[in-house]
Amino acid sequence: MSSVPASSPAPIAQRENTKLGMWIFLGGEVVFFVTLILTFTFVRVTQGNYEAEFRSYLSIPLIGINTFILVTSSFLVVRALEAIGYRGDQKRMRYYLLAVIVLGLIFLGGQAFEWSILFGDGIDYSSTYGSPFYTVTGIHATHVFIGVVWAIYLLLSHHRHPYTKEHHLGIENFGLYWHFVDIVWIVLFTVIYLV
Amino acid sequence: MKTTNRPNYLLVFIILSASTLIETLVSYVQPAPIRLPVLIVASAVKALLVLLFFMHLKFDSKIFTYLFVPGCVLVIPLILIIMVVMPLIV
Repeated sequence: MSSVPASSPAPIAQRENTKLGMWIFLGGEVVFFVTLILTFTFVRVTQGNYEAEFRSYLSIPLIGINTFILVTSSFLVVRALEAIGYRGDQKRMRYYLLAVIVLGLIFLGGQAFEWSILFGDGIDYSSTYGSPFYTVTGIHATHVFIGVVWAIYLLLSHHRHPYTKEHHLGIENFGLYWHFVDIVWIVLFTVIYLV
Repeated sequence: MKTTNRPNYLLVFIILSASTLIETLVSYVQPAPIRLPVLIVASAVKALLVLLFFMHLKFDSKIFTYLFVPGCVLVIPLILIIMVVMPLIV
């Protein structure tokens, strides 16, 4: 019976398999979000007067602040990873994760507030720009919500299975997901609000 | 996460924040064709900074890049179909 030599070099460490899976998942998410963004752009290019019928109703300063909040949360995720990955500082990691949860909830609150303003202005799901707008921002907000739930899970599960300087892949995978959601928003902010 | 390369996260965060502020101000510039290239370049740079430094793609194993990039390449025909071909049909 042949056996695999113990010294066979693996292309990537075994423990990083979940990270590999996360990157494959994110590659698929790129296609998903680009399709949604292109749908919005297509409607924008081919239908009516975007500036007068839709963009003038958007609150760019409010969403600018919301974008800053999401970028800040991304920064805090890397600080959490830095705290546990470089220093093994569990207490600081927990504080950063808690701050990420709070910022994620503030972002969702800002989104809900903007939606309520737009509904008040008569832009609902049935309007030309409302339909793709609510679809793409709604799906993004769902991703943020999932991220918040994930961060809460990390905080709670940390008590049972503490992350250490050597074992913190759960935090790293969460970070990849959260940063990706941040990137999607950076693009959405430009395509929907700024251009 | 490799511990040998430690990016300056604070600097990346400052660039991202400043860029967001500048983009927001530029969005008020009229007409739209003038602000378009500035905003697209700024957005692409911000996305790239997050990808390379916050997501560690610059420092991590290249296998992650090889897994992620095909997704990005796949969207090119999608962009061409939706933005070039479909407006001609509709």
